[in-house]
Amino acid sequence: MQSCWFGDINAGKCTPFTGDTAAYARRVREFRASMDDFIPLDWQQAVACGICRDRAEYLALLQKVCIAGSEQAVREQYAAKDVELLQMVRTLDEMDTVTNVLSERVADWYQIRHPSFSRKYRRTPAHVLVKSISERNRERGGGGGALGKVAAEIMCLADARTALAKEVSARACEVMPNTSALIGGLVAARLLSHAGGLKKLSRLPASGIQVLGARTALFAHIRTHAPAPKHGIIFQHRRVHNAPRDVRGKVARVLAGKLAIAARLDFYRGCAVQSFLDDAQVRIDRAGTTNGEGKGQ
Amino acid sequence: MIRVGDVLVSKGEGGVYGERELDGYRVWDPYRSKLAALYLVGTGIELPPDMKVLYLGAANGTTVSHVADYVEVVYAVEFAPRPMQDLLEVARRRKNVMPILADASCPEQYAPLVETVDLLYQDVAQPDQAAIALKNCVFLKQGGCLILMLKTRSVDIRKEPAEVFRDTLDILMSAGLTIVESTWLAPYHQDHAAIVCTK
Repeated sequence: MQSCWFGDINAGKCTPFTGDTAAYARRVREFRASMDDFIPLDWQQAVACGICRDRAEYLALLQKVCIAGSEQAVREQYAAKDVELLQMVRTLDEMDTVTNVLSERVADWYQIRHPSFSRKYRRTPAHVLVKSISERNRERGGGGGALGKVAAEIMCLADARTALAKEVSARACEVMPNTSALIGGLVAARLLSHAGGLKKLSRLPASGIQVLGARTALFAHIRTHAPAPKHGIIFQHRRVHNAPRDVRGKVARVLAGKLAIAARLDFYRGCAVQSFLDDAQVRIDRAGTTNGEGKGQ
Repeated sequence: MIRVGDVLVSKGEGGVYGERELDGYRVWDPYRSKLAALYLVGTGIELPPDMKVLYLGAANGTTVSHVADYVEVVYAVEFAPRPMQDLLEVARRRKNVMPILADASCPEQYAPLVETVDLLYQDVAQPDQAAIALKNCVFLKQGGCLILMLKTRSVDIRKEPAEVFRDTLDILMSAGLTIVESTWLAPYHQDHAAIVCTK
């Protein structure tokens, strides 16, 4: 028996499928044809089936089914929980870049306006300066000109960023509870963004998770045999960047190992597994304290 | 193929991606479409109006729209939902584009939809491009044509493009296909090659 979108053909006899376009589309998406001795369908069988009268009608009907099926599939893929989180965390990182670049620019501009001003010995990072410019702008009732307006916009952007960061963190805890419990929602979301989705992250080996986000260093290592990167994004987690230098690579390795398991739990189970988390936290903490001795377990 | 002077064009409804128009024809930009580049650096194949095409890696439907201007029907397979949104828009405005959201390396996903085709066109960024093409040859009629746009950097970033090119030609030939033409697409596309063969 051969099944195609418009019906089933059994020994030259065709049983047409009946239903609306959406039903046809669903039928096609549920099919899994066998590709051994596969012969593509013959459109004239659709005429024999009574589905359509001629080629033009056949193509028009098939197009409706194809469009409906693809629309269904797109909608389903976008409904997955991690898809929006991906966009959120990428927006967040982009906002960081933009506010930093703009702040530096505004600080430079401010120095031109005030020839005697210098940031030396003041320890004034650009964003603090931007804040004071924007406040002064507000005190003068918006009389600070374009510079003041831009500074105020940067502050607005920074507020939006803070709100977004909270949302990202909360959403990450919901979508990937185990991974977030180990390294925090923000960093977990960034791992997700670099892997390209929860499914992809859950299929990465621990060694891959360890160097996720250290692409330049990794390729330098592969090409020129420079030292291998010890950590990528997971460096942002306090247990990695606070670890003493000589055990930092080890902490990163152990953490990545547990993250690989956590990501799989998140993808396949989708709920926090407390027994795993407790063990993992202990194991990661121990990696940060044992110094050289007590390798492995 | 239709040309106005030296410019490759196609006849159809314009405005798909902001393409220029020339004497009522849509200009087919070789920098955006590898197939257009093939017609300019090599010969390629004619696209007669009764042709049926299986197009793997349809992306945003840029090249698909031009191919659809020439042929009878294009089965456009694309895996990612984001470009599929654009492809759907192209399909809604053209009667002969069949958008299919599926993985080109799993032909069983779209086997119930696709008939026997005269041309198999493939432009996918996957490491096993030759294997995907061979899997999909079941849809290609005897004597039909396969155009493989080889993205050498997607096969193996560490290998020399020329080496990947040679290896791919070997795989296709040992599978029984006859190579008609093979060319690099420089200067329009770097490290991309076009392989035209018949079944």
